[in-house]
Parts: sequence; C-alpha cells; structure tokens
Amino acid sequence: MDLQIALLLGQDGIVNGAIYALLALALVLVFAVTRVIYIPQGEFVAYGALTLAAFQAGKTPGTLWFLLGAGVLVAVIDTVIAVRAGALGRMKRIVLWNLAYPAVVAGLVLGLEPAKLPLVAQAALSLVIVVPLGPMIYRLAFQPLAEASVLVLLIVSVAVHTAMVGLGLLFFGAEGSRTTPFSEAQFTLGTLNVNGQTLWVIGSSIVLIIALYQFFGRTLYGKALRATAINRVGARLMGISTTMAGKLSFTLAAGIGAFSGILIAPITTVYYDTGFLVGLKGFVAAIIAGLVSYPLAAAGAILVGLLESFSSFWASAFKEVIVFTLIIPVLVWRSLTSHHVEEEE
Amino acid sequence: MKRKSLVVALLSAGAVTLAYADITVGVTVSATGPAASLGIPEKNTVALMPTNIGGQKVNYIVLDDGSDTTTGVKNVRKLTSEDKVDIILGSSTTPVSLAMIDPAAEAETPMISMAASAAIVEPVDAKKRWIFKTPQNDVQMATAITEHMSNNGIKTVAFIGFNDAYGEGWWQQFSKVAEARKIKVVANERYARTDTSVTGQVLKMMSANPDAVLVAGAGTPSALPQKALKEKGYKGKMYQTHGVANNDFLRVCGKDCEGTFLPAGPVLVASQLPDSNPVKKSALEYINKYEKAHGPGSVSTFGAHGWDSGLLLAHAAPIALKKAKPGTKEFRAALRDALEGLKDVYGAHGVFNMSPTDHLGLDQRARVMVKIEGGKWVLQK
Amino acid sequence: MKQRLPLLVFLALLAIGPSVLPEFYITLLNYIGLYAIVAIGLVLLTGVGGLTSFGQAAFVGLGAYTTAYLTTAHAVSPWLTLLIGLTVTAAVALILGFLTLRLSGHYLPLGTIAWGLSLYFLFGNLEFLGGHTGLTGIPVLGLFGFELHTGREFYYLIWLVLLGAVLATQNLLDSREGRAIRALKGGGLMAESMGVNTARTKIVIFLIAALFACVSGWLYAHLQRFVNPTPFGLHIGIEYLFMAVVGGAAHVWGALVGAGVITILKQWLQDLLPKLLGQSGNFEAIFFGILLVLVLQRARDGIWPWVVRLIPIKAAQRVVAEAEPLPHREMPALGTVLLEVKDACKRFGGLVANNNMSLTVKAGEVMALIGPNGAGKSTMFNCISGVDPVTSGEVRFIGERIDHLESREIARRGMGRTFQHVRLLPTMSVLENVAIGAHLRGSKGVLSASLRLERAEEARLLAEAKRQLERVGLGEHLFDEAGSLPLGQQRVLEIARALCADPCLLLLDEPAAGLRYLEKQALAELLRKLRGEGMGILLVEHDMDFVMGLADRVVVMEFGEKISEGLPEEVQKDPVVLEAYLGGVE
Repeated sequence: MDLQIALLLGQDGIVNGAIYALLALALVLVFAVTRVIYIPQGEFVAYGALTLAAFQAGKTPGTLWFLLGAGVLVAVIDTVIAVRAGALGRMKRIVLWNLAYPAVVAGLVLGLEPAKLPLVAQAALSLVIVVPLGPMIYRLAFQPLAEASVLVLLIVSVAVHTAMVGLGLLFFGAEGSRTTPFSEAQFTLGTLNVNGQTLWVIGSSIVLIIALYQFFGRTLYGKALRATAINRVGARLMGISTTMAGKLSFTLAAGIGAFSGILIAPITTVYYDTGFLVGLKGFVAAIIAGLVSYPLAAAGAILVGLLESFSSFWASAFKEVIVFTLIIPVLVWRSLTSHHVEEEE
Repeated sequence: MKRKSLVVALLSAGAVTLAYADITVGVTVSATGPAASLGIPEKNTVALMPTNIGGQKVNYIVLDDGSDTTTGVKNVRKLTSEDKVDIILGSSTTPVSLAMIDPAAEAETPMISMAASAAIVEPVDAKKRWIFKTPQNDVQMATAITEHMSNNGIKTVAFIGFNDAYGEGWWQQFSKVAEARKIKVVANERYARTDTSVTGQVLKMMSANPDAVLVAGAGTPSALPQKALKEKGYKGKMYQTHGVANNDFLRVCGKDCEGTFLPAGPVLVASQLPDSNPVKKSALEYINKYEKAHGPGSVSTFGAHGWDSGLLLAHAAPIALKKAKPGTKEFRAALRDALEGLKDVYGAHGVFNMSPTDHLGLDQRARVMVKIEGGKWVLQK
Repeated sequence: MKQRLPLLVFLALLAIGPSVLPEFYITLLNYIGLYAIVAIGLVLLTGVGGLTSFGQAAFVGLGAYTTAYLTTAHAVSPWLTLLIGLTVTAAVALILGFLTLRLSGHYLPLGTIAWGLSLYFLFGNLEFLGGHTGLTGIPVLGLFGFELHTGREFYYLIWLVLLGAVLATQNLLDSREGRAIRALKGGGLMAESMGVNTARTKIVIFLIAALFACVSGWLYAHLQRFVNPTPFGLHIGIEYLFMAVVGGAAHVWGALVGAGVITILKQWLQDLLPKLLGQSGNFEAIFFGILLVLVLQRARDGIWPWVVRLIPIKAAQRVVAEAEPLPHREMPALGTVLLEVKDACKRFGGLVANNNMSLTVKAGEVMALIGPNGAGKSTMFNCISGVDPVTSGEVRFIGERIDHLESREIARRGMGRTFQHVRLLPTMSVLENVAIGAHLRGSKGVLSASLRLERAEEARLLAEAKRQLERVGLGEHLFDEAGSLPLGQQRVLEIARALCADPCLLLLDEPAAGLRYLEKQALAELLRKLRGEGMGILLVEHDMDFVMGLADRVVVMEFGEKISEGLPEEVQKDPVVLEAYLGGVE
C-alpha cells in the first residue's frame, strides 16, 4: 500500500464514517430519551433515498401511501382515546397532523409532477413525506410500551424493522436505485481527487452535528429532550411529557435518517434493505459511545468507517470479521474505563 | 378399463375429486431476502404459466422461502405432504436448491431448480435423479467469458464477486477455466450486496493493473464496483455475468457501463437473434407475455428461467398423463421419466435435450455474448 | 397431582402426535423443537440472567458445521461428532465469554453481534466448510441399528432432547446455583456480597446456552442433511431472541411457547395472506412485524404468563422439609478484635468521602457508627465489605488484611452485611432471597442441580433459611414475593439473609429504618441475643434511642472523618458531636 492508496482509503472511510456518525447521533438521541434501541433507523435511510429516487424516475413513491395510512391509523386511535377521556379539545391537533397534513402532502406530490422539479424541491418533498413517519411509528408501536423493559423495547424495535423492510420491498422492489448528485464538481487536493458529492456528505454531516448541538444547548425543546434523557421521572415532574419527548426524538431521528439517505443516494446504490447494515454500523458507533455521548459517537463512527475501508482493501471477504473483531477490544476498553453502575431494572 | 373410466367420470362430477385430478405444481422462490431480485420476476412468471396442460387443469401453489435454506426445506415438506404436489419448481438460489434435494427426493417428487450451480444436478445419483434445472451452468458462462477474453488479447484479470454463494460459484468456475486458457487472475475480491462502498476492493484490483475486470454479481448491486472503477479512472475492459441481465442494471449503471461485455441467455437479446435461431420465437413469446402484464422493459432473464421450468413441465406432463393420474406416486415417477426424456424443447434460454446423465440439457445455443452499447443490450457475433 | 395435570396432558399429546398428525405438522413441530432448544438457553441467559445475546445462531452453526464437516469429510460417527461439537462449542464459548462477558451494559449485546457476524462470515468463507454454497450429503442418524430417516422418527429425538433441556433448566433454576443465576439481573452486587462469584456464574449460563444451541445445531444438520451459513446469521440470531421474548423471556416454558407461536404465525401468514391479498406482493414480513408489535403491547412479559393465568390451577402450598442443620463456623473468642480499620481513605475523583477513618469491632460487642446524612457511613461500609475498596489505608478482619479482597472473599471469611437501599430480588420468594445468604454453605454445582442430585444439601439450605426467617419474625411470609413486604420488613429480611451465611461479624446499615416501635424492640432483642452468642455487630443507624440503648461503643463521623469515639453516654455529651448534629441543622 502506498500513500496514495492510504489517502484514498482514508477519504472513503471518512465519508462513510460521516453517515454512520449521523445515524449514531440519532440512535444515541432516541435511546437516551426513550430507552429504545432503534433498529429501524436504517430504514429511514432507505426510505429517504428511494423516495427521492422514485420522484426522479417519475413514479409516485409508496411511502406516500404509508404516510396516509399511518396518519389515518393514528387519527383513529387518538380520536378514540380523546373521546373516551372527554378531551375533544385535542381533536384539532389530531386532525391537523394526521389527516390534513398527509392529505396536503399527497396533493402536492400528485399535483406537482415532482420529476420536473429542481433537486432541492424533490429532496424537500421526500423529507416532508418520510420524516412524519417517525413520530407516527412512535405513536403506534412504542408509546403504548413507554414503561416496558429495554429488552422488550428492543424486540418491538426489531419487529418494526421487519415490517418496514417488508414495506420497503413492496414499495420500491428488490432492485436498487441511485439519484443525481447535488454536485458533479471534481476537485484536486494534492494527489487526491475529491468529487463534489463527498464534500457535500462531509459538510452536511458537520453542519447537522453543529445544528443538533445548538438545538440541545439553546432551544427550549432541545433542553426538554436533554432533561428527559438525564432523568425521565424528574422531567415529567417538571411538566415535560414523555410522549412529547418521545415523538420529538423520533421526528429528529427520522429526519436525520432520511437526510442521510438523500446524501448517500448519489454516491452508492440504495436498496430496500440497505438500512440494516448501515444502521448497524451506526449502532456500533453509538454503543462505543455508551449510548450517551454525542462526540464519542461521532468519533466511533469515523473509526468504524476507516476500519471498514482499510479492511476491505486488505481482505475483502473477511471485511465484517475484521471490523467486528477489532471492535471487541474497543468495547472491552470502554467497559473497563466507563464508570460501572449496576442497572436496576 | 371401460368401467374404470366410468367410475372416474362419475367421481369427477363431485367437486372434491375434480381437484384431485388436477395437476398441482408447488413453487418456492426467494421473493424476499437477499435474492429477492431473482425471486420476484420468477414469481411473476408463474402467473403466466399455462393453466391447462393436456386437458388437465393446473393449480400453482406459490411460496416464498425468503432466500433461507430452512424455509426452503420447510416449503418442500409442506408442498409434498400437505398439498401433494406433482412437481416442485424452484428455488432461486444455489444453497436453497441444494437443501431442497433431500426432501424432494425423499417424497419422490420431481423438482426443477432455477439456480445456477451445476452441483444441483450433477452427478445424477439416487437423489438427484429427481432434480432438474433450467439455468445455464456457471461453467458454460465462464467459458464464454474466457473465450472472449483470450480472443481479445486479455492476459490478466481481476475478479470481484458477491460475498455469497453466487460470487463463490463464479470464482470457482472462472478461476478454473481462466487457468486452462492461460489467463492470469491477479486479484480476487468480495463485496456484500448492500455494501455502500467498494473503494478498498477497487484500489486493490487497480494496483494489480489487470487488462480486464470481471464483476460477479446479480442485478443492480453489480453496478457499484463498475462505477467505482470508472470513478477511480480504470481504463481496461469490463465484464459482467449473466446475473446483471435486467433493465434495472442499465438504469442504475447508466453511462458508466458502456462497453461492458457479458454472457447471457439468448432471451436477453431475443429480438436481435436471427429468425433461424429456434430460441427466438419462444423467447419473444415470453417477453411479450411478461411485458404485457408488468409493463415494457420489465422483463428479466431470471423470470425466463422460471418460464423454462414451466415449459419443461408443459412438455413432460402430457406424456406422464398417459401413464398415471395426477396426485399419485406413479404420476410423479412418470413425470420424472418424461422430463428426463425431453428432447428439443425450445425454451427462452436455449434448447433442452435431457438425458439420464444430463438434467440440464442446454448446449452452446444457450449462451450469447452481449455488449452494453448506448444503454442497450447488443448481441455480439 | 392436580398441578401436574396440564403437563401430563401436554406430554400425552406430544407422545401420540406422530401417529395422528399429518406429515407437515410433524415437520413444523420438529422445527419448533429445534428452535425451542436454543430459546431455552436464551431464557436462561437473557430472560433470567439479564445478558442479551444476538449471537446464539452462531453456536447453532458450530454444532451443525462440526458434525457436517466430520461426518462428510472424515466419516466420523454422528454421535461422536456431537461430543466433539460440544467440546468445540464449549471452547469457543469460553473464549468469547471471557472476552465479551466482562463487557458491561450495552456493550455486551454489541459484543454478541460482533462474534455472531464474524462466525457467520467465517463459515461462508472457509472452503473446507463448503463456503457459502454449503455442505451436502450429511448422513442420517442411526440408533442401535435403527435409522432416523423421516421427520416422524426424528420427532421423538428432538422432543426428548427438548424436554430434557426444559427439565434440566427448571431444576437448575430451583437450586443454590439457580438462585445465584437469578440474582445476576439487578442483584449482582448483592450476590457478590453473599459470596456468589457472578463473573463465573455468567460464564456458566453463557456456556449452558451455547451448548443447548450446539445440540440444536447438531440435530438440525442431521434432520436437514445440508448446511450452509444462512441459518446461522445475525438475522436468525435475532429471531431466537424474538422467540424467547415473545414466549416470555423469564419462563422456561416461554421458550417453547415463543418458538411455537413464531413458527406457526409465519406458516399461518404464508397460507392466509395470498388468499386475502393475492399473489402479487409479499406481505408476510409486514404482517409478521405488525402482529408481533401488537402481541408485545398486549402482553409485554410474553405469552407464557398470560397462558398460566388461563390455567385455573393454584400453585401447590409448599413446605420446607425439616433437615439436619448446617455446620456452624467456629466463633472467635469473646473480645477478639474482629475488625480493625486503620487510616482508611476513600476518594471518588477529587471528592474525599472517607478520610483517615479508624475503628475496631470486637467479638461480642455492638459498635455503632453514627453521623449526619452524607457523613460517609455507607461508604465506610462498602470499603469494609469490599464492595468499593479503600483508596488507601488498612482493613483487617480477624487479623488478616482484606482491603484488596473481592467482596465475596470477605463474605467467605465470615462478614455478613445488609444494605442501606434494600437489595433483594422482588419477584423471588422471601425464603429464596434469604437462601442466597447461605450460598457459601453449599457446594453442589450446576450439573448436580440439573440432575437433582443435590436435594439433601438443598433441603438443609432451605431449612436454614427458614430458621433464620423465623428467628427475625418473618416465619409467616416464607413464600410471599419479597417485593410485596413493607420496606421495614424487607430490611429485616436482609438481616435474615446475612445471618444465613453464619457470619461472625455483622454489618447492618440502618436496620431499624421503617420499623414500628414493637418491631424495633424485637430487632434490638435479636441483636442483643446475637451479641450474647459472640457475634460482633457494626451498626449504622439514625434512631438515637435505638442506638444508645444497644451500642457498647459509638464512633461519630462527619464529612468523612471521625470526630468522636467512646461509650454512648460519653459521645452524647461530646460538644463536637452536639455541634455536628445540632449546629448542622438550621
């Protein structure tokens, strides 16, 4: 291996690592707030990318029907609960978010001919469809189980993943898709060729990470989420509802996931089941961070990306073996250095 | 004899026994899981298969095995014991098909696989006498590629394949025939179907400086290494396998795949075949039927393997019907014998001539070299 | 007998199954059996022991590949390959266990994913194992010249193994080692203080789960007569976990129910959905996922507890048999210095919790450690009992330095303790909770427990637990759930548990908190009696009447340091103490 190859591998590792970092952040966020190990995070990557690809191919993405269906389901359940509780005041919100919003989105998609829109509008439209699925899934699958054990939540999360992959196959088919890049530009950095899209990926990741940092530090909602993450009961006593925090974290996670999908779709082929392995790498990074620390999660993600890229050069058939074997010493080290508190569940 | 047919006529007045006399076909394909891009067109093709053979109604029971060997075996057990099928079609991948041999042979039910490896039907022994298959053997395709390579003066090749049974099967066959033709394989890399990056593998291959690169993958995932090679400035010749032969591959790979060579079943370029080619008619018939149901450009060569298995059945069943009644052990045995005796069946992928030692029966007419030009498959002479 | 009725009906149905059921049902039952064997291991490991593993499928693969390779390539007898497979699996599990079981919290599940994926790709890329394509031609199993060709014949073998695994696991959980296993989840620290080697216990259940998986894999290979990597991948590993959780991860029978429900649900969807929705799409996975979410929302502890409620049979009234008392420790002579703490310091980062603490406790005296909240009394307790060792200084117990020993080693030497925040296992019975205290007084291991060869010892342990419970006045609550007791009585339970270990020094952290007046009187009486028997008692307590009436000597702490020491009446008059207590309270 010469320096040139090492540089190229490093660049590749960092680009992949940037995506893993975004997913890891979302996983840490969701776990800290809701104790859900969010396996379906990867599905949002696939949904985001494939929804955009469907627009570009002039098709109506199946995720739109998913949005409409999930919206109706949430509306029905929430209406029943509201009627039983005699809290009809909630109806306005229920109808607005679960029926009116999806209907408007559907109107836009079916009326606008998205294939002719500029890329930015297509990407925005994809996010508008995919992101609300996050809180809806929280409402349908996780909210009734908010107090269950981590193990049960994990299994529910796997079940949701199974269903979402099945839906993905139904919506998008088994073959993959790519989208047109944000930028076709090529730059030369010394001996290194860098294309525009990879810069987009790294740049957006950094911007998003900073934005999240600001969100948690500066805004009321961000602070509420942090409070819930640190002490659920305490936060509830202070009037921060678990449900609100849960929905908000799932919305953010869905947003991060779908956006990551839109970012990588031009540089790789995305399939209905791409999400699992990508999500798993994000999960690895998140775990390295102990599911609590955001900066460590980002560092872990870059580490995973680099390990992957170099091991695929050395022994591609054993790539996963190498990556995961090398992860174990890191885990042991983390295990020994992090302060051990016995969980009482 | 007369009395017997009278009894049959009387019985067939009842709906229950009517179903008994139908030919029941069990299908298990990988419509979900990693091999879904193979299984889905195969499943779609089943709907186009004849519903009446030799005056008998044909019922198809289609199951999904999720590309999983355990489920494949479970499906065979269900089809043979619950549904008492007369024949099994499937499955889509080599491992699942291999796993299905035992239970199918145990139930003495003929099976036609849609998977590539020769190991499924060779050597024909006590168990594999029940097993047939329609796709060309990897080695036939690998030979076509190496032939083309040596004719074009290629001395060194880098190989990159799926990290699964498909890539493995190709590596075994290709490395063997390449050696025989004195072509040096300078790199052997693997990648996973859902990998998002193959930069490492591509750099490794390029550092070996090969005259050509062969990508052994199926469907759209085969585009990734080729696009990565282009991006890193690789200038040599590119080869793909027949696994990529569907239009989704062209859609995803786009202009990066111009000039790529691949061996394929003639169905891929059916309209370009000379009219003298006996396969042309059969292949066009399949394409027309499939595209009528699923839209233009939707056809894939995988579905055509399924179509061929249906064709074999349609040719063999009338012969077997003369000997025994569907739903019986005798019928299944007769069907097996009939399949083994099939001669000159024109399928979408070639001409089938079965024999007691050859349960595939395809010859050189089952493969053509194709080049991707202008975003189209172009037949090479 | 009546309690056994559902079980007997179930066994009878199983026995006649193959002669009446159609072929395919047998096939399904075979697969259910194979899955359930793995799921039982997960119940033990994850549901009971609290260690989540995604990697069990890899151990199934080890069992399957060992026999597949040896029988096809070297024509070894399948029965021999079972032994070899178990040995290989045990070796791999031990290595992986030593590496990954020391991972805490969420690091462990990721560790299991790591080796689950790695073994999968190893199977797929090793040429002698047939690579991704797989190995064919695995021979049928023969038993005394009788060959198991068909599913019907195989059925009995699978279900015998499964029922054996159920029985062995149930026996194990209802034993001394079993209580240690059940203490792992949420009670590890307590168990260590009772002398349980939790690290070893974790390895043991990990090993058992791996061996169960290996046996399942061996059976799978000979039933299927073909192996390739796909049935041993991460997805299947997750599915095993699914089965355990859906069935009821904390219950051995839950594994069976889970394996059954998942397998049948999938089959049912495969039959039903094409009829409802047509052949055009693949809806199985979608509906499967949604149904599982709904099941878990309705029954989050799994299906088994829900089934049990439907069977209208009350649990048998249990009795604790009389048994020969356990041997007693030889008590040190009255007045011997039992505990000697010299210049003990404890720092957490920059925070000094204990500074230069010294105290002694003699055999046959009650020493009270008092001080305002946050003075560092409980920290002192943790230093002495080895839960959280001192940063510097010396702790001696009957002359021996113990400040760097593990808490279980200190327990072994005769020091018993209770905790300020009650640490017991709320869903376990009072009796069993107390019996954990007697862990070190038994010696029979996992194997004899599974085979019920340790009943004599077990009876003695339980009889001892009962005796201690009667002594502290909880004799009427033996079979109640420990969590159902009022907090005060839970504290008393902890004293019984500590006594069960037959200690010569007792560390009691606020034993009287939450007790009513009469109960306090009884407790004081008990402690006096223990003192009379020659036991040394170190007591932390806030109830001054209780302390002053009982203690022989008193040490007062404030801000982690000793501010006074002496007889109760001396300390009460010490101006420094008055300042600390009264001056501190504004």
